[in-house]
Amino acid sequence: MVPMRPESPYTLHTLPNGLRIVIERMPDVRSAAAGFLVRTGARDETPELAGVSHFLEHMCFKGSPKRDWQRINIEFDEMGSNYNAFTSEERTFYYGWVRRADIERQIELLADMMRATLPPEEFSMEKNVILEEIAMANDRIEHAAFDFLRERIFEGHPLAWPVLGYEPTVRGLARDAMADYFAGRYTPENMVLIVAGNVEPPRVIDAAAEYCGAWQSGGSRPAVRTRPVLHHGTGVKTIDRFQQQIVALNYPAASTVDPLYETANAIASILGGDNSRFFWNIVQAGLSPRAGAYHLDYADCGLMILSGQCEPAGAEQLTEAMRREAARIRHEPVAEREVQRVKNKRRTALAVEAEAPYYRLVQIMDDVDSRGAPRTVEERLAAVDAVSVKSVAEYFERFPIDRDGYLISVGPRHWPQTN
Amino acid sequence: MEELVQKQLDCGIELGVVHVPGRHAVAMELRVLCGMADEPGELLGLARIAEETISKGTAQRDGRALSDAFDEIGAAHSSWVGREAMGFTCLCLPEFFERALNLHAEFLRTATFPQDAVQVAVDLARQELHLLEDDAQSLVEKFLARQAFGTLLGRHPLGEPETVSRVRRDDVVEFWRRFFQAGRMQAAVAGPIEPARVADLLDAAFAGFGSSLRAGRTSFPLDFSPRRTHIFKELEQEQIGICFPGVGVRSPQYPTERVLMGVLSGGMSGRLFTEVREKQGLVYWVGAWHENPRDAGMVFLGASTTPQRADRTYATLLREVDRLSDDLMQDELNRAVTGIVARTETRGDITRARCGEMADDLFHYGRPVPPAEKLSWVRAVTIEHVKRYLLEHPRTQLSVVTLGPRALEETSGR
Repeated sequence: MVPMRPESPYTLHTLPNGLRIVIERMPDVRSAAAGFLVRTGARDETPELAGVSHFLEHMCFKGSPKRDWQRINIEFDEMGSNYNAFTSEERTFYYGWVRRADIERQIELLADMMRATLPPEEFSMEKNVILEEIAMANDRIEHAAFDFLRERIFEGHPLAWPVLGYEPTVRGLARDAMADYFAGRYTPENMVLIVAGNVEPPRVIDAAAEYCGAWQSGGSRPAVRTRPVLHHGTGVKTIDRFQQQIVALNYPAASTVDPLYETANAIASILGGDNSRFFWNIVQAGLSPRAGAYHLDYADCGLMILSGQCEPAGAEQLTEAMRREAARIRHEPVAEREVQRVKNKRRTALAVEAEAPYYRLVQIMDDVDSRGAPRTVEERLAAVDAVSVKSVAEYFERFPIDRDGYLISVGPRHWPQTN
Repeated sequence: MEELVQKQLDCGIELGVVHVPGRHAVAMELRVLCGMADEPGELLGLARIAEETISKGTAQRDGRALSDAFDEIGAAHSSWVGREAMGFTCLCLPEFFERALNLHAEFLRTATFPQDAVQVAVDLARQELHLLEDDAQSLVEKFLARQAFGTLLGRHPLGEPETVSRVRRDDVVEFWRRFFQAGRMQAAVAGPIEPARVADLLDAAFAGFGSSLRAGRTSFPLDFSPRRTHIFKELEQEQIGICFPGVGVRSPQYPTERVLMGVLSGGMSGRLFTEVREKQGLVYWVGAWHENPRDAGMVFLGASTTPQRADRTYATLLREVDRLSDDLMQDELNRAVTGIVARTETRGDITRARCGEMADDLFHYGRPVPPAEKLSWVRAVTIEHVKRYLLEHPRTQLSVVTLGPRALEETSGR
């Protein structure tokens, strides 16, 4: 066990097989949460396997060395666990949030699932579920727009394909191909057990050793991730059956580990969060009921997305208004009071995050994956406090948002006209 | 140790406080007991326009300055409009509670409803109604609510294009004057703050705010329509919504209904997930939930699936409700009870969740109910209780809405 600073709430440990364990002790709460981070996601797939990471996440609930799918589901529910899993471009995460007395049982169940057996009959059944999930996503214009946005901006790179995969790749996926992917990625060196809540760290480590200690080492995630080249231009996708138009202006932005990461978040908030410039100058001008700015971050790149939804006929006006705000924030210095307001809101949000083990679990997972170690609430607050008018100016020098972007337009109207 | 306090304030507000030392934030919910059911029939959507514009200007400052004042203290505030109440929620650090409360009092008491803000809210509501057409699940909920609850309780917050277009500033002001008064207000506060101080601050902030006499606590009639409706829409999936009348929160059968929801849809071992998704792979999404206006209740089942699987999905949903009378197992019931108990305890670590639960208790029971008391009701539910509930709420009384490329077969589920 690696002792951290005496006042640190964290305990870090690594099992002989390479599985890392990160524990945050929260003595004031009644519950605890545990999760396995697997450092693999859609951008680690090959084109013909698009969607395998997400499909595999489903299959981990469908059979393990000790349990069939019914026992897995029943045992989660016997604890009254708040549980689920999610897959993104860069990671897969499985978690359960339970009463403190059940945390070791929760860890055992999750650990068993991490040795999934991929039962062939369940593979076929679950394929239908995934295809339904893709169909459901296709019925949502926001989803269609986001997929199209990444398809065009990251064209030629694994970040271009959807986490769910495509209907043909999912339909064509063979169980053996998934098994190979599983064997290569779900190795202890490529996974982290994270626990937060009212727990005794030595007991958690003992439990991890008992349930995960026999896992065979298999090497860490293949270092094949390449940095994408972000494309510029205009992309239009016409889908007649939708009523509304979504337009989005997209610009390169800070990555997760960039020193200007928090500044990028602050800019998104000033430009397009609550009580933002977009809210008062676009929404309250009646141009769009939903307009905002979002910072999308990956390990080696990022996007600043300025987007809004409107009646198809209003697409030019909305796009022009967003461009106007982008130019204004780029060329007129952001006021100190705007930066301070963002910090004040973050302070409250971080205080709330410190209350609940599930919130902390997800944040620790994020920090461990992208930065290699967890940050305390105080350390995260310090990062937010470092945002300043000066750092905002530095950000725009590196990541301008008034030129070279990618305009995306999705909806019933073919606008703008493209060659 | 937690302390639960209820007090009827001199100003007219009904207050519930859960004092939780050691928390880092304070959560507050102010409810005004008026909502969509109070709108004039020709002005549907009015309550939401009032909710949207009440913070767009006060006697002291304009809407942007008011938002800036909230941001200066880092307070996260939002609002909602429901069938019988409107809610104003806030989350802030303990040292800023008084300022946050006074800002709420400022806009609730001295809103100016600027003409341009009302016009923008009406324009945006019309656009939102159009955008709703692209949200299949919300559309089904809208149409099903109308069949489930009737013309008063089944209204949609956005109203209808022709009714919301009629809303003028004078209508909003009249609605506010008529309903926004301390005697129609309930306040719930949770966090590391002394209940006596909360009471003093609220009394000071809302003294003389309209009538202090209690009002707005009678229930509206529920008008359930058992029928099947299909709405054609070009989609990849068919949306299915089903409902039947349940019971009110104060009914002795309400804990049984909660457990029934747990058996059907409490987790991945729930009947619907198991039978519809896990065993047949028919859907990605399937669920059951219940909604409760004052003294009434409605049970909902929902799923979305591709059209060729819709009839089978629908039949399975109904079969699972029917079968419960015959084959509900004790371990299923135990899991449903454990789920409710455990989730109450884990979510109890979230201050905002404690506040919201107490606000609901004030609304339905007229008092903050200790979580342990409510859980004791749930623990007392037996298989016999569930069977009796199902017997008294037969699925012969169903209301169904489907939305998508094709209607269900006439014989589906019969």
